[in-house]
Amino acid sequence: MRKLLEGSQAVAEAARLCRPQVVAAYPITPQTHIIERLAQHVADGELEAEFINAESEFGAASIVLGAVAGGARAFTATASQGLLLMTEVLHNIAGMRLPVVMVCANRAVSAPINIFNDHQDSMALRDSGWIQLYAESNQEAADSVIQAYRIAEACELPVMVCMDGFYLTHSFEPVELPEQTAVDDYLPPFHFARTLNPARPMTLGGGSEPDNYQEYRVAQHEAMENARAVIEAFDADFGEQFGRDYGGLVQGYRLEGAQTVVLGLGSLMGAVRDVVDRLRNQGRAVGALRLRCLRPFPAQALVEGLGSAQRIIVLEKALSVGAGGIVAAELRAALQEAGITTPVESVIGGLGGRDLTPEVIETVIQGAGPDHAGSGCRFAPAHRLPTRNSKGEKAHG
Amino acid sequence: MNNKHEAVSLRLYEIRFHGRGGQGAVSAAALLALAAFDGGFEAQAFPKFGSERRGAPVEAYVRISAVPIRAHNQVYTPDAVVIQDATLLRSEPVLRGLREGGLVVLNSAQRPDVPGGDRDDLRWICLPASHIGERLLGRPLPNTVLLGALAVATEWVSLSALEKAVTGHLGRKGEEVVKANIEALREGSRLATEQRENS
Repeated sequence: MRKLLEGSQAVAEAARLCRPQVVAAYPITPQTHIIERLAQHVADGELEAEFINAESEFGAASIVLGAVAGGARAFTATASQGLLLMTEVLHNIAGMRLPVVMVCANRAVSAPINIFNDHQDSMALRDSGWIQLYAESNQEAADSVIQAYRIAEACELPVMVCMDGFYLTHSFEPVELPEQTAVDDYLPPFHFARTLNPARPMTLGGGSEPDNYQEYRVAQHEAMENARAVIEAFDADFGEQFGRDYGGLVQGYRLEGAQTVVLGLGSLMGAVRDVVDRLRNQGRAVGALRLRCLRPFPAQALVEGLGSAQRIIVLEKALSVGAGGIVAAELRAALQEAGITTPVESVIGGLGGRDLTPEVIETVIQGAGPDHAGSGCRFAPAHRLPTRNSKGEKAHG
Repeated sequence: MNNKHEAVSLRLYEIRFHGRGGQGAVSAAALLALAAFDGGFEAQAFPKFGSERRGAPVEAYVRISAVPIRAHNQVYTPDAVVIQDATLLRSEPVLRGLREGGLVVLNSAQRPDVPGGDRDDLRWICLPASHIGERLLGRPLPNTVLLGALAVATEWVSLSALEKAVTGHLGRKGEEVVKANIEALREGSRLATEQRENS
């Protein structure tokens, strides 16, 4: 049944349906509602889990590391400074190949302190060895949590489900929550082959010398490479069972004959779809491609989606200071490797919660053409507030 | 789909709530969206993103549509504004972007003389919602009174759908709270009907 749910509640319910045995977290805006809801479920006896209010995010990450190493399914959620405080542990979780699932309620990072949304926090962790999925809607965020457990446990890789802070976490929108039995069918119980067991002592994440450290890293990289097909297959499976899928690694929108394609991540793509519809109605060949999976980086899927575009605009909510757009740079490399010379325009916007409205997105598309594309980036303008009043009909698209 | 859905099928309705931290602008927005969703519409509700501080100006938004809502942007050109505290008219641009012929539902016994109040295209409904809230709820909470008035003035949601939303959303607070808020919805709706008939 479809219900109108706050995004935080939707992902908390999805996490509950996955039957985690350990939930550990430290509160931080805009993540807190997720963990509050799970704490309530545990207190009400609706979720049989150990709920641990950690002393810090570093502690929370360490707790879920230990829980999964001990064979339990575990969940945590954080954002921004909390995610950064977890950084050391997150690398450890990935290096130990522990299938932890977390939700990152994407938020800008300090300084200056800002509680609003952008993607700087999770992007900073892109090299940590975690799979990263970015959700466009609350429905997708909830569904991705369920997919994430299956992906993580099949690949023995941790998965971070990234959902935009406030834009998703604090928005009420219709969400269809699956039945428990259906989730149980989709997601088999967790049996961790390398569970720590006092009867069979072993070490996880122990010392490694120069003669074999690199092999661990190569194995990790290979597992990531192999995860692409797993993510695609489990998303397709999910679609078959629940009637909703998200394109696996990337999701195209009106790409047929599109000369200009806007590439982006997360909730901003809803407004991009509206803009694409509007411009298509004006006869302009515009389409959109959504990068759902940042890690593993789906170079081939992107090249396939963008191959025939004459103009590519990457609109992203994170900045590699001193370099420019992060996704844009990776896309340029992927295209170059595929022998495609289409220039990539890197546009940074929506930082620290600045609203990327349809008007702003349209300005970005109407703005500088390929001639202005270089190796750097440009910045999206701010939304211009209406003056006295505004006239005219609003319609979708 | 019934006739009402067909009539609004091409339109997207946007409502902006203005209040002060603690007055429940976010709850009001959620209740309205729940009622619209219950009435068969797609709906979205969210706060103006920010730190919640008691007494500080806050905004919350609702979108109501016959087709799925994809954008997650804030509302800049509302069809209606609901103002929970009349003093905000002096300090905040509460009428900004309000569409031609837009509706203002104001928590005040009278329509005040305010900047922007010279717009003759707007429809105003003014009612002493805090006083009514005080009487019915024991606390000066204007929300459900204003929502009852909005329902009558716009017909985007029915009173019965709002009552259902109140029952579901406030259920945890007990039967008495639910009952009092339903009374408040009805009182708001009654007063708005009176104002409509007198205008």
